[in-house]
Amino acid sequence: MTDLDAYRETARTWLNSVSGEFGRDARRGLAVEDDLALGRRYMATRFEAGYAGINWPVEYGGQGFGHLEKVAFDTEEMSFGMPSGYFGISLGMPVPILMRYGADQAWVKERVLAALKGEEIWCQLFSEPAGGSDLAGLRTKAVPDGNGWSLTGQKLWTSWAQYCDYGVIVARTDPTVAKHKGLTYFWVDMKAPGVEVRPIKLAGGDSHVNEVFFDDVKLTDAQRMSPVGGGFAVAMATLMIERYVATDSGGFGPHLDLFIDLAGEIEVGGRAALDDGRVRSAIARNYAMRSGLEAITRRAMLMMEAGMVPGPEGSLNKLVAVRSRQRLSELALDLQGNTGLAFDAHAFVKEDWAASWINAPTGRIAGGADEMLLNTIAEKILGLPQDHRPDKGVPFNEIPA
Amino acid sequence: MSLLYDEGQQAIASESRRIANARADKSRLLALLEQIGAHDEPFWDMAREQGWTALALPEAFGGLDLGLVELGIVAQASGAATAGAPFLTTNYGAAQALLGGDDDALSQQWLPLLASGEAIAAVAFAEGQSPLPDRPTTRLIGSGLSGEKPGVTAGLQAQIAVVWALCDGEPALVLAELRDEQRSVVPSYDNSRGYADLSFTAAPATLIAKGRAAERLALDILARMAVVTAHEQTGGAEALMYIARDYALTRKAFGQPIGAFQSVKHRIAELYALVEIARANCIHAASRAGQPDFVTAAAAARLSATEAYDTAARDCVQVHGGIGVTWESGLHLHMRRARSLAIEQGNLMWWEDRLVSELTAHLETGQIETGAAA
Repeated sequence: MTDLDAYRETARTWLNSVSGEFGRDARRGLAVEDDLALGRRYMATRFEAGYAGINWPVEYGGQGFGHLEKVAFDTEEMSFGMPSGYFGISLGMPVPILMRYGADQAWVKERVLAALKGEEIWCQLFSEPAGGSDLAGLRTKAVPDGNGWSLTGQKLWTSWAQYCDYGVIVARTDPTVAKHKGLTYFWVDMKAPGVEVRPIKLAGGDSHVNEVFFDDVKLTDAQRMSPVGGGFAVAMATLMIERYVATDSGGFGPHLDLFIDLAGEIEVGGRAALDDGRVRSAIARNYAMRSGLEAITRRAMLMMEAGMVPGPEGSLNKLVAVRSRQRLSELALDLQGNTGLAFDAHAFVKEDWAASWINAPTGRIAGGADEMLLNTIAEKILGLPQDHRPDKGVPFNEIPA
Repeated sequence: MSLLYDEGQQAIASESRRIANARADKSRLLALLEQIGAHDEPFWDMAREQGWTALALPEAFGGLDLGLVELGIVAQASGAATAGAPFLTTNYGAAQALLGGDDDALSQQWLPLLASGEAIAAVAFAEGQSPLPDRPTTRLIGSGLSGEKPGVTAGLQAQIAVVWALCDGEPALVLAELRDEQRSVVPSYDNSRGYADLSFTAAPATLIAKGRAAERLALDILARMAVVTAHEQTGGAEALMYIARDYALTRKAFGQPIGAFQSVKHRIAELYALVEIARANCIHAASRAGQPDFVTAAAAARLSATEAYDTAARDCVQVHGGIGVTWESGLHLHMRRARSLAIEQGNLMWWEDRLVSELTAHLETGQIETGAAA
């Protein structure tokens, strides 16, 4: 057994020992606020057990391990359905970037510890009504105000903002230069006067994303985390910081075994669904796709263990797995005929085909839409040309709205 | 066996790619399409010179004692070059049959010749539309083989064939020496594959395995050949992806390279996804030879490689527009090969069924497991 296998084994044992208190079954039927409270207790317990900040420096409360141990733990944790999702973005991007770019390091360390223990949550305020895939098109502005800044504008799709204590934000500080060049990066106190959070109810019924309005919110210059006009680079660094993440060949939906189990209980045209060629074809194609993605992931892990840099094919997981989850979920509902009409808005996405189906579109849009991922593959991996961009080099305030 | 190629395997990969490309000759391959019964002799000579025929055979029989991983690497390079002769795969399959049986004399007689490439072997399992029928109609009675095997790859050139037959009411694997009057050519859209209908009438034949052992061996042989072919398909699909990419970078329309249009660049990016999934499945499957999950892994490799190559053939031609459908462009070499390879070693539907049977075996405990059943 390698050290990594041993680490994974020990982690699994620990997860098992607390799964009764925090796992999927303990969470069933909880209101969001109660689930979040359980999540905070889980994070504190996880911190005490030494599984918080696995690949972060020890001086920030982390464990000082590498990416491998972190990915191994996250992969194991995913199968237990622990209430860690509220803290995923917080610990994934804003807090690590705060460690790197935060000006007052004593204050930063306090925040990092509080975030690791689940006491505080950070959000990432990037997307806007006018800037999603085209992040640099954002319009929220920060204007100099005394020794600091005044922030005004609107952010959109901000996950968990209603529960957040702080956020990192990109704002326009100079509209007279090309769009990428006039941005600056700050952190912001989500409880400050002038910040208003309005949850957005999504198609599946939950409201984890928000609109966030800023009306003359005062920032000190110590809250600035990039050079003035240098915010886009820090934004990109934020998106790149979690290069190695736990993946799921099921696109974060149900495991293929659940589809096979379902098909094993159903008849189509008077015979077992598992004898139906259409069903068999769907199972086979899905299995082939998932096993390929899993082999890509295992190969990447082996390369990291050997000190090599994994290839770019690791980026395929989200693109391929989520859209196939979407189609398999449709088929699973279709298979059930009229009995597939029942819906439980609180069911777990990894257990329930209707929940998986109704929430799947989010997975194809959030964190890089399919079309943006295809552009990245085409441009960065295959060397194909960038799209025609009429706003390239044009001062922001001269781009037709 | 690891999912990462070691240094030796990487060297085989770069050298086989280099030499397959250096010896590739589109006009020679195009000419072969119009010659019924010819195969790519320069490729086969090269494969023998390079020792590719000996790669996956034991040293005791003149082989290099490497395995399916290395043979797969070479097959990938061959596939990228639409290299002709199919014997690399069929000889390997026949050799696996001999190694899986226990007839030492037969192994001594044929394995060294297969390792050197002096002999060519075919593997004749299919009947009708089934790649591996539960109960073949071809019969071995005493030492006489009788029956029909349609569309056998390398059937035109092979001196011997490993035949799936029925013996005393049980499935059997049989080795038959082939004579010219037993084969008739099948004109095809991919003529260099040596397709022939084989016909046996009380032909002399030797039993290799029988009953449950024969079923297991036949499925293992088909899966191993399918993994070699999946590598070849992946090599072809990857080559097409780059051909499409290069064309999209140079061809201009509406004032820019066509690769700047998302309709074109996304089509090529989708090929990248298919190719990488197929490649990962191939490497995984090759590393699982001999393990209990090998047939499952082989099926996954086979399905994803067939999808990658078929799609790449379709889309690469589409990206080229009119020039892509000309004889001269040669893209149809890949298009033809994508389909012929998709059918050799078991078609897509058979492998889908096989894979689901493997995945649901635990649910079907009430049924008798037949191994070769679809």
